[in-house]
Amino acid sequence: MLSAFRNTCTTLCSHHFLNPKPYFPLFLISTQNISLPNSTSLSKPRYWHSTFFSMTSGADSPNLSSEKLEKQFEDFRVRLEESGNLKERIRAVATEIDSVTRLIYASLLLVHQSRPVAEVIEKAKSQIGVLKELYSRLSEIVSECPGQYYRYHGDWKSETQTVVSLLAFMHWLETGTLVLHSEVEEKLGLTPTEFGLDVDDYLIGICFMSNELPRYVVNQVTAGDYDCPRKVLKFLTDLHAAFRMLNLRNDFLRKKFDGMKYDLRKVEEVFYDVKIRGLAANGDSAGAKQAQGQS
Amino acid sequence: MLFSASKLSFLLMAPKPQRIRHMVGTTWQSAMKKARTMSTDDTETDSSMKDAFSKYADYLNNINDKRERVVKASRDITMNSKKVIFQVHRMSKQNKEEVLDKAVNDLKAVTDQYLSRLVKELQGTDFWKLRRAYSPGVQEYVEAATLCNFCKTGTLLTLDEINATLLPLSDPSVEPLQINILDYMLGLADLTGELMRLAIGQISEGELDFAEKICSFVREIYRNLTLIAPEMDDSSDMKQKMETMLQSVMKIENACFSVHVRGSEYIPLLGSADTSYPLLGMLDIE
Repeated sequence: MLSAFRNTCTTLCSHHFLNPKPYFPLFLISTQNISLPNSTSLSKPRYWHSTFFSMTSGADSPNLSSEKLEKQFEDFRVRLEESGNLKERIRAVATEIDSVTRLIYASLLLVHQSRPVAEVIEKAKSQIGVLKELYSRLSEIVSECPGQYYRYHGDWKSETQTVVSLLAFMHWLETGTLVLHSEVEEKLGLTPTEFGLDVDDYLIGICFMSNELPRYVVNQVTAGDYDCPRKVLKFLTDLHAAFRMLNLRNDFLRKKFDGMKYDLRKVEEVFYDVKIRGLAANGDSAGAKQAQGQS
Repeated sequence: MLFSASKLSFLLMAPKPQRIRHMVGTTWQSAMKKARTMSTDDTETDSSMKDAFSKYADYLNNINDKRERVVKASRDITMNSKKVIFQVHRMSKQNKEEVLDKAVNDLKAVTDQYLSRLVKELQGTDFWKLRRAYSPGVQEYVEAATLCNFCKTGTLLTLDEINATLLPLSDPSVEPLQINILDYMLGLADLTGELMRLAIGQISEGELDFAEKICSFVREIYRNLTLIAPEMDDSSDMKQKMETMLQSVMKIENACFSVHVRGSEYIPLLGSADTSYPLLGMLDIE
């Protein structure tokens, strides 16, 4: 009984609510369903309706301004469609790069099965030409919109990071050294002025490569190469020290770099295991003997 | 030497506690010696790696410093554009011209003082690389500029018009700063929120025709953006803004509807500047 009364009161109040406060129309909205059937309020608004619109339509030609507005948005639509097409073409190439990297990775994985390094690398290398070709296509597409490299960068960066990690791993297997940024650009046929390799992508790729090393060490030792942990440990220690020269932001690269110390620790553990059992000393590597002699 | 010292300290820190226990004695010492001998083993490859990394370090330091400066400029632009927007909201029937003139002047000051700081930072590929750093500021600026312009002329300030005002910021030798479509559209999406506030304020003021005008303007923007929003590079942000925008449009429409339906009750407001409402007393019932 009481609540019914209150309801009618609020309806009534809102009806005659004239206080010009900002929340006022919202208040009215909540009661619009109740007030609609009111016949007296239906007849009068028609008068007000006509005055409103005669006032607005009399103002500065709205047709002209809305034409200008439509024209701008039509122009936007065309331009966005163009960039959408470009994006699709980039994605298509990136997908191809992705499938080539999977091929390379699959052939590189054979090193864990103690296949001879030269043979493994040979097979993986055969695909680099394909990569080079794909990157030149990518560079061509991106050159259609000068200065917008980073607008579309997100569409190929993760593929490129993988490419860097594979190239770096191959390079390390061959030479025992780290492939440099400029060397990767060279291998892929990139020119820094037109379509360069982003430094962040390079560094992230190097971090990915470091993730591969603990497994390599474990499998090499199992296969009887007791000198391997020493080499890898030295390489990773140097690499980690080099990375510590960088002032990183709190981004993905930082996260990957933070993960590198676990690779280092794992390799240290393997090195320790081999070392403490005197396996490294019995190994047929001259380097190990030399190191042993010095200590 | 400094290099190998830092390496040693890392070796000391890295192993788990139980490993240190294992390693006490000769093995540990020889391991340390080994680390030292190894670092001098082939200094040649070592230094080439170091040289390369010092280059990367320079590159990263430069770009990070630049990004930081851009973020700061962006924040200043946001803050001062917000002030312009608030200035526009102070508009009422009596002081419209005066308030808007001040807003336009303030906006000009934002352009000259703060937006100009972005020009030399965003040359070449940095314009897109650092977009995330400056985008919020530029969006807010677009919002302020379009709001001012709408209140003055009742039309939409186009991207080309904004970009034309930015040309004098840079001398001809460098690339001029030009706002990109994406930031402009995101700014427009925010504009509807401000226009919603403005429309409701205007209704309270009794400026019903202006509110109606805002309503049709906002509808147009929403309709046009609906067509192209999904085509944007990264449309997730825009998707959310489109939803908020629809809310704003509906709020304005409902407000206009309410006035429209209960138009008769606005006589005292429309008829005179008299602000004494005989029915206000009814409120006391609640």
